[in-house]
Amino acid sequence: MRSIRLEHIKKVFDGETIIDNLSLTIPSGKFFALLGPSGSGKTTLLRLIAGLEIPEQGKIFLGNQDITHMPVNERRINTVFQNYALFPHMNVFDNVAYAMKLKKVPKDIIEQKVIKMLKIVHLDKHIYKSIRQLSGGQQQRVALARAIINEPDVLLLDEPLAALDLKLRERMLLELIELQDTLKTTFVYVTHDQFEALTVADYMAIMNYDGEIEQVGTPKEIYEFPVSSFVAQFVGTTNIIKGIIQVNDTEALLNIEGLQSFSVVIPKDKEWQGREIMMSIRPEKIEISKQPLTGFSNHLQGTVKSIVYHGRSTQYNVRLKNDFLLQVFEQNEEHFPQEVIDYDDVVNLYWQKENVVLLER
Amino acid sequence: MRAETGFRSIFKQELPFFWATPAFVWQVLFLYIPLFLVLIYSILGNAGLSEYLTLEHYTALLDPMYAAILLRSFMLANVNALLCTLLAFPVAYYLAFFVTRFKNHLIFFLILPFWISFMVQIYAWFFVLEKHGLINSLLLNLGIISQPIHLLNTPFAIYLVMIYCYVPFAVMPIYSTLEKFDKRLLEASADLGATPWQTFLRVTLPLSALGIRTGFFLVLVPSFGEFVIPTLLGGGKQLYVGSLISHYFLLARNFNLGASFTCVSGIVLIISGISWYLLFRWAFNLSRRAQ
Amino acid sequence: MTGRSSMSYYCFTFFIALMYLFLYVPIIVLVLFSFNDSTFPYIWKGFTLRWYSELWHSHEVWNAISNSLIVAFSSVVLSITMGILAVLYGSRNRLAQLLVLFYGTLAIPEIVVAVGLLSFFSFFSIPFGLTTLIAAHTLLGLGYVVPLIYGRYRELDYALTEASMDLGATRAQTFYRIIIPLLAPALLASALLVFVISLDDFIISFFCSGASTQTLPMYIFSMIRSGTTPVVNALSTGLLVVSSFLVLLFSSLNIKKVDMLP
Repeated sequence: MRSIRLEHIKKVFDGETIIDNLSLTIPSGKFFALLGPSGSGKTTLLRLIAGLEIPEQGKIFLGNQDITHMPVNERRINTVFQNYALFPHMNVFDNVAYAMKLKKVPKDIIEQKVIKMLKIVHLDKHIYKSIRQLSGGQQQRVALARAIINEPDVLLLDEPLAALDLKLRERMLLELIELQDTLKTTFVYVTHDQFEALTVADYMAIMNYDGEIEQVGTPKEIYEFPVSSFVAQFVGTTNIIKGIIQVNDTEALLNIEGLQSFSVVIPKDKEWQGREIMMSIRPEKIEISKQPLTGFSNHLQGTVKSIVYHGRSTQYNVRLKNDFLLQVFEQNEEHFPQEVIDYDDVVNLYWQKENVVLLER
Repeated sequence: MRAETGFRSIFKQELPFFWATPAFVWQVLFLYIPLFLVLIYSILGNAGLSEYLTLEHYTALLDPMYAAILLRSFMLANVNALLCTLLAFPVAYYLAFFVTRFKNHLIFFLILPFWISFMVQIYAWFFVLEKHGLINSLLLNLGIISQPIHLLNTPFAIYLVMIYCYVPFAVMPIYSTLEKFDKRLLEASADLGATPWQTFLRVTLPLSALGIRTGFFLVLVPSFGEFVIPTLLGGGKQLYVGSLISHYFLLARNFNLGASFTCVSGIVLIISGISWYLLFRWAFNLSRRAQ
Repeated sequence: MTGRSSMSYYCFTFFIALMYLFLYVPIIVLVLFSFNDSTFPYIWKGFTLRWYSELWHSHEVWNAISNSLIVAFSSVVLSITMGILAVLYGSRNRLAQLLVLFYGTLAIPEIVVAVGLLSFFSFFSIPFGLTTLIAAHTLLGLGYVVPLIYGRYRELDYALTEASMDLGATRAQTFYRIIIPLLAPALLASALLVFVISLDDFIISFFCSGASTQTLPMYIFSMIRSGTTPVVNALSTGLLVVSSFLVLLFSSLNIKKVDMLP
């Protein structure tokens, strides 16, 4: 298994630079997710790796091999396309066997391998069916089988679950994780759905609208310690408030005009005094209560303006003194909570300073 | 398309496009060069002096006889196109909206006469229109007339058979457009309070305008050059564009005059085509603004 | 569907029925009278098959039939071969814009095309006969084959080509295993189309065949001109049966029929 390395990639379409000076290393054997909004260029990046596009500048390495100009059909990289691209004039068996037939593998070996692969993806009861007879989920699995059977170094997946309904998607995500675990092939999974990315990835990268990679890391790193407001807002929801840092002897404060000062934790490396910084506090990290509570480093008050029931949790939008609407998630732990929060209630909001992320951009 | 760009860069080296050239060569050699040749013939001087260009073949056309012929064909083409389109629309509409069970069968039977050789179709009408043919026999037997009516060799015969041969040309594009029509638009219109007639005028008609226009032109263009039907069913006494062209090229062997007349007819056709196109556009905009 | 009252619905249906009747009455009469036992074709005298027998024994007719068939088959082969090559090799590179050229044949009145061909052959002193006919009909054929195949080709999901190459196929392999099989119905349909069109064509044949060669439609034309016997009815009926059969074949192919404008 070999890793993928992209160096200073530039890709232009019709005069428009989609990707510029992008470098990325995808570690081998891991489930890697590429997350980004529509139009961010993530699919383009995938196609560059596949060989369906050639970069204007830069190099692509598979292990130590420079594959930048290697034709798509020579690369040991296979793709699962977004709308599956199954060959309509062939049945399931022929679709999956396609690559092997090209290489003139003996028929009995083909049959053996194909049936085994179809068992893995739970399609062993549909081996000779025509593609048109299959459901979306089944077609997706054929596309998967067709790509994996060649034991590629890398498997690329372009938003493969986009056309499926929620329950099916959730199930397929788990199956994909299991599959990657078994095969140990490098999976590169492109999606705009952060839930999918967070679920499957061992490692992920976030791309922004300008085709740049904002952050690379484990899902936990990215979620808990985003490096920019874009990442903080794209992955999950968050509250972002801008203020000025004030450093005293004993503590560091973020002064927010029209509101109050919050206690924050600053790293010791840089000069923070007087700088304008954004703070990101995730809704689930805020405690909401009508009764006053103790033990929190930050406290403020607000008025409840909207309540949305989400089953597992309830979302409150609380208006603060400076008219900012703070989002708060409260897990619905009990059927009959002791305290009921209602519209226009004045509530106390608490959080720990360690749960805040300071963002420079 | 994004994929195109990427593939093109790979394939430019690979694709030997000389495989594609025979078709292009054929097309240019047998269609475009001949047309150019016709143009040359129209301005070529007589007695084979190939460098001698002249406009005399065009000035010869200033005789009012030619104008009469052009007008006759113009009338035929336009009236035919109008009538065919008017007749085609209900048929297409019916097939698209009212038929479910035997749709494919009905379409098949609609296309079928069209596939039968022109000649056969024309000959068939002989039978119906002839002095002792179907119509006359029927009318005589029913006592409606006492003597057979002269139906053949009349403008009536020409127009009738023209419509017969060309209606399918108009039906298919209109049907195609109506078939693709999202029927839910009609439901939405009714839901918002429109009567069926209003829905038709405001929704169906504007949205099928393109198909109607295509059908119209599919009839107009060939009708203009039609010469078989006028010749066989019109008695050949009155000349049409097609019959004159055929006369010059095949009988009189006067390629020059034939060529110049062809060019002039072509121009007349193009002008009428453009006029109709603009008319359609104007009507379409009018209906748009009336919404 | 749009809440039409039954009265207008029945009127409408009646009108449509009339239209269909209009389309078929002449043909039905034609076929009927091919069995008419009378030299004077318009009066019914009895049932007979002698006109068909006369047809069978007529040298002229067989000559015309063989000419028509030779020209038709040749045109199909030539136009399909050249047409598919043009689409496969000419649609994804610089030649693609020139594909518009093939739409010209249908856009120009057939008599103008015929006149052009006549001028062309005369100018270069090419003898008229089967060759000129085949050349002309192939041109006609290209005008149908290329738009049809190209249309179908463009509809093919481009991702299929990409998937094929992604799985390791060369361009040639992709052609043979994916593209051609998927184009097969359209190819068959256009072959049938060109065949029928060539068989039925009159105008271009009339101009480009010269004095000695005659195709079926030309034969019928000359018979109409010179005076008819029910042999022409029999011949027309025969032509009708063949054409119908081919159209039936054509209709059964799994392609979007209504885009096929003959």
